[in-house]
Amino acid sequence: MHEIILAVRYLLRRRITYFAVLAVTLCVFIVAVVMTVMTGLVNEFKQKNHNFVGDCVIGTESLVGFPYYEDFVKILDGCDYVGAVSPIIKSYALISQTGIETGRNEGVEIMGIEPGRHGKVTGFGGTLSYNKEDVSKAFKPAYDPNLAGFVAGAELGRRLGIQGGYGTAGTKVLAVSCFPLTAKGTLARAGTDLVNTKTFYYSDTSQSGLVYADGSMIYLPFEQAQLLCGMNEPVKRTSWLYIKFKPGVKVVAGCEKVSLLWRDFVKERSGQTQADLLDKVTVQNWKNYRRAFIAPVEKEQVMMTVMFGLVGITTVFIIFVVFYMIIGHKSKDIGVLKSIGVSNMSVMRLFCEFAFLIGLLSSFAGLFGGWLFLLEINKIEGWLFKHFGFQLWDRTIYAIGDIPNRMGFGVAAVIALSAIIVCLAGAFLPSRQAAKLNPVETLRVSQI
Amino acid sequence: MLKLFLWLRYLQKKKIVFLSFAAVALSVALLIVVASLFTGFINAFERSAVEMIGDVVVSPPTRFPKYPQFIEQLERLNSVKKATAVLFGQGLLHLGKGDVRAVEIWGIEPARRAEVMDFKSVLLRQKGLPGQPSFEVQGQPGKIGGFVGIGVLAEPNEKTDEYDFKEAEKMTGRQVVLTTGTVIENKEGQQGQFKRKTVEFTIADIVYSGVYYSDKAFIYLPIEELRKVLYPNEDGQAAKQIQIKLADGANVDAALAQIRGVWEDFASRQLGWDSYLIRSTSIETAKQMQSQLVAEFRKQMGVLLLIFGIVSLSAVLLIFCIFYMIVMTRQKDIAIIKSCGAGSGSVASIFIGFGACVGVIGSAIGTAIGYVITKNINVVEQWIRIIFGLKIWKSSIYMFSRIPNEVDWASAKFIVVLAVIAAVVGALIPAIVAAKTRPVEILRYE
Repeated sequence: MHEIILAVRYLLRRRITYFAVLAVTLCVFIVAVVMTVMTGLVNEFKQKNHNFVGDCVIGTESLVGFPYYEDFVKILDGCDYVGAVSPIIKSYALISQTGIETGRNEGVEIMGIEPGRHGKVTGFGGTLSYNKEDVSKAFKPAYDPNLAGFVAGAELGRRLGIQGGYGTAGTKVLAVSCFPLTAKGTLARAGTDLVNTKTFYYSDTSQSGLVYADGSMIYLPFEQAQLLCGMNEPVKRTSWLYIKFKPGVKVVAGCEKVSLLWRDFVKERSGQTQADLLDKVTVQNWKNYRRAFIAPVEKEQVMMTVMFGLVGITTVFIIFVVFYMIIGHKSKDIGVLKSIGVSNMSVMRLFCEFAFLIGLLSSFAGLFGGWLFLLEINKIEGWLFKHFGFQLWDRTIYAIGDIPNRMGFGVAAVIALSAIIVCLAGAFLPSRQAAKLNPVETLRVSQI
Repeated sequence: MLKLFLWLRYLQKKKIVFLSFAAVALSVALLIVVASLFTGFINAFERSAVEMIGDVVVSPPTRFPKYPQFIEQLERLNSVKKATAVLFGQGLLHLGKGDVRAVEIWGIEPARRAEVMDFKSVLLRQKGLPGQPSFEVQGQPGKIGGFVGIGVLAEPNEKTDEYDFKEAEKMTGRQVVLTTGTVIENKEGQQGQFKRKTVEFTIADIVYSGVYYSDKAFIYLPIEELRKVLYPNEDGQAAKQIQIKLADGANVDAALAQIRGVWEDFASRQLGWDSYLIRSTSIETAKQMQSQLVAEFRKQMGVLLLIFGIVSLSAVLLIFCIFYMIVMTRQKDIAIIKSCGAGSGSVASIFIGFGACVGVIGSAIGTAIGYVITKNINVVEQWIRIIFGLKIWKSSIYMFSRIPNEVDWASAKFIVVLAVIAAVVGALIPAIVAAKTRPVEILRYE
């Protein structure tokens, strides 16, 4: 009991303690703000990637694709843990706007999808500008639904001159050329034109928030993409299957089940035409599939944490110095305490509790200040932009909306715990020194 | 002399002062490393732009003929050393079974290009050979040769992020198919039709510039061959851009003005262009073209340094605490010094000077640490990869194969000055307390 009383007393009476509290509060505030924003951006980015591909992905990186996907889709549709499945064609194409400056063409990635299915598996519907409510109409140009439509990634659309409403963009026509490939990966139609070309008409724009998808991807109707890529005969092929599990099904567990299903499916099909293509197919969860994009941002978050850790070492030094000073001044008090029977452990516990109180108080103050600042961070940025033209992230360069400002409980807890540990670490050596003080020496008449 | 003596004494007796050195050194080192890496990246980014497209770029709104005459007129200017023409296209490169890549096609004159920028040094096969680079295919005269970026042919190793150059060089001599396209005008007034064009060419050399995006997506063909593919119905030469190397020591603004004068004269007399087209031609330096991105990078650097700087302010508090403790425990010393005739200002200057010393010594140590870490950052990154299996720097993310490792001395000086000022500020209040010491009260015998 006396330990807590003395710890509180030292906290309130020793003004030098305020500096330790100030230093730790400052560090906690900065770390809370930066880590909340970083974590928010990383989570947003992960969520966008998750929305882009669903929960589980089956497929191959090869442009040749794999056959018998329709049979496997039927099997998956019958599973009680699968919500929806979407077959995807992915390839590269050359696009050219007819009627525009001669010779202007661009290499893009094409994604052939069945919009209705795809909208159930991914967040595709929510990314569209005009057909959010009914994603099945994504490839139906408003001016003539019978024409074959295309959906442009937002940034690609801007480069193609698709701006403003339907009125200005409605007549955009693209010629899309692809290399048709045989199941062996060789060029189909050898000796002829080597490429397939078809005309598509603008029907919608997709803003997924992913730079690569929005900057260089166009979406085409699945059957048309299959034709362009030569994947419609003799056995129909697809590049990927995106799968969404039903609510409550864990992604890793769901992917394992799908993996087992696929293994059995491949065994049943062995010996059939083009069945060797099935061996190159992998089953992975969305995180593994998108790891090339997600891993770097997670790594940056770790690096930032390590750098803050290094700077936080200074805070340890401050706590050390403050406690060193306090113990230096309170050596007589400690001598008195020990002379009336307080043990070494008890003395050490006293100062550790004191350090704990500093850490706790500073964490609350720092986290509260950080929470308040984060509440207003977007308004502050808006004000700075309005008066000084300053924006933390230029929105014309970065695909960011509002700055994330919701402090997660996990982040706050980790920061608070780290602050307390830092205070305890800084106070450890002085506390041990205080515990070892000899009352005979400290209470000697010449010392008093 | 007395000050020096007292400083050394406090250092000997109060070993806790070394903590303040450590805190200042740590903060300074971190800030120098962050500033140097960011500045190094920005400089590398600007340098890569110059190495890619020259000092100055003339980009008319549409392609134009008779570019050799324009280049000749440009090279007559004192401020221009060399110029070369470029034609652009986009296409799909078929490399083999199921292997199709979207590529950017540059039609170039390799010999001229080597004089405008250091193009020969990025060619794996020809960089060690005498003479100018060319598209000639070894042992296959008459074949159309092309250069292909190494990233088009292969991916860097997942763990080391390095290309297998020997494997890449084996691809030279291979024939590949490029599909591009153009709109062919049928009759006057009628809408043109998009026509696919395929070009079979032989890989004459591999390009490795160290800039991920250009190695990943670029192929180079002879400008004339590309012109025949893209604009088959036109006679004569065509270019989309002129890339210029300025003479050493040339004034950039003056050079830009001169180049614009030559362009306006050429476009109106030789091409018969109207004033709108002439004015729409962009003539700017490579750095100006990257200025928006560079400004964004600098802003991010500023924000990061500000954040770390604020956190490093805790070093000021540390110095305050330590000096306050020294003043409180050395009150008798101070009282004796004052009783011997030292003024308050003199006493204060002892502690302020000591604070400045802490700042100077701490900054020196921090600068040394920052220098060593920055210079060896690639080695450090390699060791982290070997020990933890974590590849921090990837060219596909950060653009360059190697982390730029030049120390930014301008920023380092600024950081050191700030650190010394911060240390002095930390020592200020304890110095004032020391100056206000009253010898009568301190030395009273009780």
